[in-house]
Amino acid sequence: MRETIVTENLTKYYGGFLALDNFSLKIKENEDVALLGPNGAGKTTAIKILCGLLRPSSGTAYIDGINVVEERELALSKVGAIVESPEFYPYLTSEETLSYLGRLRGMRGRGLKSRINEVIKLVRLEGWAKVKIEKFSRGMKQRLAMAQALLHDPPILILDEPALGLDPRGMMEVREIFKETRKKKTVFYASHFLTEVAQVCDKVAIIDHGRLRVYDSVASLKRKYRSLERAYLKLTEATI
Amino acid sequence: MSEFEKLKIITKYEFLKHLRRKRLYAVMGIVIVVVLSILIGLPAFGVDYPDDITAMAGMLSVSATFASIGAVFFAGDVIAGEFERKTGYILFPTPVKRTTIVIGKYLACYVAVALIILLGYGIVCVSLLGIYGQIPIEVGTSFVLCLLFAGSVLSLTFFFSSISKGTMAATVMTLAFIMLISGTIDGVLMMADQPSWFLLSRAGDAIIMVYPGFKAMMTAGMGIDMPMEALEYDIGLCTAAMATYLVVCFFLSLFFTRRREML
Repeated sequence: MRETIVTENLTKYYGGFLALDNFSLKIKENEDVALLGPNGAGKTTAIKILCGLLRPSSGTAYIDGINVVEERELALSKVGAIVESPEFYPYLTSEETLSYLGRLRGMRGRGLKSRINEVIKLVRLEGWAKVKIEKFSRGMKQRLAMAQALLHDPPILILDEPALGLDPRGMMEVREIFKETRKKKTVFYASHFLTEVAQVCDKVAIIDHGRLRVYDSVASLKRKYRSLERAYLKLTEATI
Repeated sequence: MSEFEKLKIITKYEFLKHLRRKRLYAVMGIVIVVVLSILIGLPAFGVDYPDDITAMAGMLSVSATFASIGAVFFAGDVIAGEFERKTGYILFPTPVKRTTIVIGKYLACYVAVALIILLGYGIVCVSLLGIYGQIPIEVGTSFVLCLLFAGSVLSLTFFFSSISKGTMAATVMTLAFIMLISGTIDGVLMMADQPSWFLLSRAGDAIIMVYPGFKAMMTAGMGIDMPMEALEYDIGLCTAAMATYLVVCFFLSLFFTRRREML
C-alpha cells in the first residue's frame, strides 16, 4: 500500500524554541493514525506544516507524493483539514461558506449544492444552513469545520482536535462520522481523547517535546503497555 | 481550475463582505453629510456660494477625499484579520495561492471604495449642475486622481495589514502614516519651501488643488507667511507619487503575506 502522508526529519523552531525535532512519520493509504501528546508537544505544529500554514525550519513533508513545502496548492487539493479552532466569516451563512470553499476547490452547480446539503445533514446543521455564522456557538462552528473538511470528499483528512468544543453528543457524532469515512480515507488526527482514539484509529504516534516517542498500532501498544493510557503516560512521563 | 477563476470567486465573496458590513454605508453616509453640510451650511449662515464654480467644486470634492481615507477602514483587517481572527485556518489550507487571495481582496476593497467615490462625485456633479448649470472639466481630473489616491491608500493599508499582528494596529499605523507622519513632514517641507510631492498626503491634495478657484481661495485664506510655491502642485509628479505608493506597497503586501506563517 502506498504512503499518502510522509514527513521526513521535520524540524521547526519558533525563534529559539524547538517545537518539532526531526519528526518522521509514514502513513499508508486508508490508515487512521492518531497523533497524541501533551500540550505543547508539537502536534499542531506538525499539522500546520502539513497544511502549508507553517514552513519547516528543516526537513520536508509529502502528501500523496507531493512536496507540501514546494507545491502547497497541489498537495492541499487532496486534503480536507481542521486546524486548531477555526473561525468562519461571520457575515456568511454556513451554506454560503461551504459554497465559497467548494467553489475554490473547483466544485460548482448542482453537484456542489447537493454535496453541501449532504455534509450539512451529516454534521446535523440542517436548521442552521441559512443562518449567519455570527449566531453560531463554538460547537456549531466545529461542526461546520467538519463539514468543510469533508465537502470535497478528499482522500486525506488532517484533523487537529476535531471534537474540541463539542458536547458529548457532538463528540459521539464526530466519532460516527469517522467510522463511516475511515474505510475510504487516510485520516491523520491529533487528539487528547485517548478513549476515542482507541476506538477510532488503527495506529498511534505519540509525540513529546517535538520528538516522536513511538509510532505503533493501538493493539500493539495495548499489548506492550497493558492499555493506551499507560503507554501514553509512560512515553510522556518527562512532562508529567 | 485556473487561478483567474479562483480570483473571481475570492473577489466576489470579499465584495459580499463589504456589502454586508455597516462600514460601507457609514462612509457613504459621511460623504453625504459632508456635502450636505456645505450645500446647506453656507446659505444657512448667509454666505453665498462662490462665484467661481471650480472653488465650489473643490469644496465639495473634499468629501471624496474622505472616501479615499475610508479605504483604510475597509482594508485594515483584510490580511491581519485572517491571522488575528483565525479565519485563515479555513481559507489558507485551500488550494489557492496567497497571491490570488491578496489580489482578490484588493479588487473587492477597491470596488467598494470606488463605489463611494462615485457616489461622492455623483453628488458633486448634481450639486454643481443644480447651482451653476454646468460641470467644470476639472471634476473629471479630480475624479481620476481620487481613484488613484484611493488605490494608493488601499495598497498602503494592505502593506500595514500584511505586517501587523492585529487589525487595529494596521488601521492606526496607516492613518498615522498618512495623517501624522506624512502630513507633518509635508507641513515642515512646505514652510521650508522644499518639494514634498513624494509624500502621500501631499500627492493626495492634488485631488482638490486641480481646481484653480479652490486653490486661489486657499491661497487667499492662508493668512500665514508661506512661500507661494508651497501651493503649486505638479499633477504629473503627484500622479507618479501615488502610482508608486500603489505599486510598491501592493507588492510589499504580497511579499509579506506569502511569507507570513499562521502561528
